[in-house]
Amino acid sequence: MRACLLPLLATVLAAQADEPAEHVAAAEREPRTRIERTVHELLPSLVKVHGASGLATIGAYATGIVVSEQGHVLTLDQIMIQKGKTRVVLHDGSVHDAQLLPEEPRLGVRLLRIDPQQVQGGLRPLWPPAGDEGAFRTGQFVVSIGNAFRLAEFAEKMSATFGTVVGRANTALRHRLADVQYDGDLILTDACNNPGHQGGGLFTLDGRWIGLNLRLLDSKETNTMLSAAIPTRDLLPYLEQHVLGRTRPETVVERVPAWTGIVLFEQAGRESPPAYVERVVPGSPAAELGLRPDDLIVRIDDWSVRTCREFRDVLARCAAGQVVKLVWKRGTRVLDGELRLGEPPK
Amino acid sequence: MNAARLFACLCLPSLAWAQQPAEDDEFARLEPVLQRALAAAAPFVVTVETFGGTRRTLGADGPADGDGPPLPRPAPKAEPPPDDAPPPVPEDAEPEGERAGRRPRPPMVPEGFRQARGRTSGVVLTRDGWILVSRFALNFDPTTVLVTVPGRGTFHAQRAGEDTSRGIALVKIAADDLPVPTFVPPDEVRVGQWAFALGRTFAADEPTVHMGIVSARSRLFGRALQIDASTSPANYGGAVIDVRGRVLGIAVPLSPSGRNAGVEWYDSGIGFAVTIADIPGLLQRMQQGEVLQRGWLGVHLELAHLGPGAKVAGTPKDGLAARAGLRKGDVILEVDGVPVANGPHLQMLVGARMGGDAIRLVVAKRTGERVEIGPLRLFDAPWSEQAQSNDLPASFPLPEKPEGR
Repeated sequence: MRACLLPLLATVLAAQADEPAEHVAAAEREPRTRIERTVHELLPSLVKVHGASGLATIGAYATGIVVSEQGHVLTLDQIMIQKGKTRVVLHDGSVHDAQLLPEEPRLGVRLLRIDPQQVQGGLRPLWPPAGDEGAFRTGQFVVSIGNAFRLAEFAEKMSATFGTVVGRANTALRHRLADVQYDGDLILTDACNNPGHQGGGLFTLDGRWIGLNLRLLDSKETNTMLSAAIPTRDLLPYLEQHVLGRTRPETVVERVPAWTGIVLFEQAGRESPPAYVERVVPGSPAAELGLRPDDLIVRIDDWSVRTCREFRDVLARCAAGQVVKLVWKRGTRVLDGELRLGEPPK
Repeated sequence: MNAARLFACLCLPSLAWAQQPAEDDEFARLEPVLQRALAAAAPFVVTVETFGGTRRTLGADGPADGDGPPLPRPAPKAEPPPDDAPPPVPEDAEPEGERAGRRPRPPMVPEGFRQARGRTSGVVLTRDGWILVSRFALNFDPTTVLVTVPGRGTFHAQRAGEDTSRGIALVKIAADDLPVPTFVPPDEVRVGQWAFALGRTFAADEPTVHMGIVSARSRLFGRALQIDASTSPANYGGAVIDVRGRVLGIAVPLSPSGRNAGVEWYDSGIGFAVTIADIPGLLQRMQQGEVLQRGWLGVHLELAHLGPGAKVAGTPKDGLAARAGLRKGDVILEVDGVPVANGPHLQMLVGARMGGDAIRLVVAKRTGERVEIGPLRLFDAPWSEQAQSNDLPASFPLPEKPEGR
């Protein structure tokens, strides 16, 4: 079993069995440790999200984060979320019908909205985040909160897992993760995102909100499972637009496909070979940079180029006029230079 | 009543005191410790990228999983060296002749297992460019290995030797003044101490870290520490460090089953960290390109014999024991002066040795006489530590053509 569904971390279960009434006072005792305090303060801002139907492998439940006093709840956009059938269960156990706001397809997140009039005692939004807009660093301790495996029902408290920020997966590596639409950096963590945890929050020890939990990911890069979160700061434009009604002007740039003038040595086969240069078109950007036949292209900006296919994939994301850092190997020397991508010749 | 009140006065404050947490913020205190260790160790944890090569299989030359013929590669053409070029170094692909003279490198991953081809990690070993990597990184027998040292750039790496019993390999890059780690002496290591597993795979500019403790000290015949920090291809080859940023070992894919490069234990809370820098002799042998293997005596043991000594049930005819004259029914009493308690004890004594190591035996022959044998040089184990013959569990297919790219 390679998934991190195993209890590989000290799982701090904030969830307590529903205590009989006479024991409520004992159950609501004051938090004592740093983590207990953090979890205690955050839980009222996290909600359980229940959908109409899941798939065989994905349950119809998730977690959400209250982001406004007007009833906005942020969660991961997913198949279970359906108009008129999505319900939100607040910390106090009250159940609310959720209205769906437009999703953010690039991030794969969606805002839900519940009627704030129906909420007793008001909502406790986590947003806007503290001044540093959810900054995080590798090796930082984190607490992840969510409704893992739907263990918490009604007013039961959700689960908290502890871990570290394992690292940052940049865009160039992120594209090797399956099932992620999101295109920016990801926070990798070893605080486990079990099913149901998605849409929950990732927090620092002192309770700062730094990320929105994704589903457990498959890494094509390493053939392993990963827990990851979308950095909070990347969620801000979407939240500002739909919660505050502020829009940022979107710049639409027409992209001209990029051209390097490199012709790769490639043979038909099921597996794409390493990106060896077969020839360089005279007068092309690559010729200007001094590339020669038999050079091995190994990287474009941060993107590893291990095969001809990856070379094409990366170039497809670039546009003419863009300047990229190209790294190539000639014999035993590793060279690099800036390549100004051109337009394909007519 | 007064007694009760007195009792309350005396006890309630102490009860209240007991309610106070003894250590409220241990995590808050540990966090900067981890950060400091990370900063100390980050400079010598490097990224390893491989290009080309094929999946190897056991006992056959073809590709392991029917993925077409071995990858074509254009023959390197002779090129006039530029004026500023360093003296010519052999091309990265090893010449056939050199290769033919070497012992085959046993594959780490058996047939049917499809390994992801991502980046792995490595650790700088010497200032002048020897880098320890995981054998996992070289499993495809890549034509090109590149090592990226943080802040120093990317280097072409020349492959040197390997240690199949530890799952590590040595490569050399042409660089000087590299940051080097301090290794923790093995006898200083304590079960329960913090162990942070570093890698450098997901982002080039910062390492990844998984937190755990040392779970056990002597694993795999004393070659490895066991840790509970997650290990996977994301940090294989990376450093496992202590709270001061010193290296406890190199994260490697090992498992007692010896199969599938430890894949069944990815992220399971069972990981292994091995060292070699502190073991005299082994490093030099690897620098000379030797492929080190576990030592092999070549005896089958009689399980019913509970000791003292280990009773020989048979000797494979190509084994060292057969050549040294051991026969069925003989009892091995001593290994290098250490009395052998029973069969498993003999396995421990021999399993810790490498092929080529000298060994002395004292044997009670079936005929009753007591003979000293040796010193003998142990043979290399005929099996690979990481790939056992036909005993293959499920494979883990990996899509070659990921969707959504």
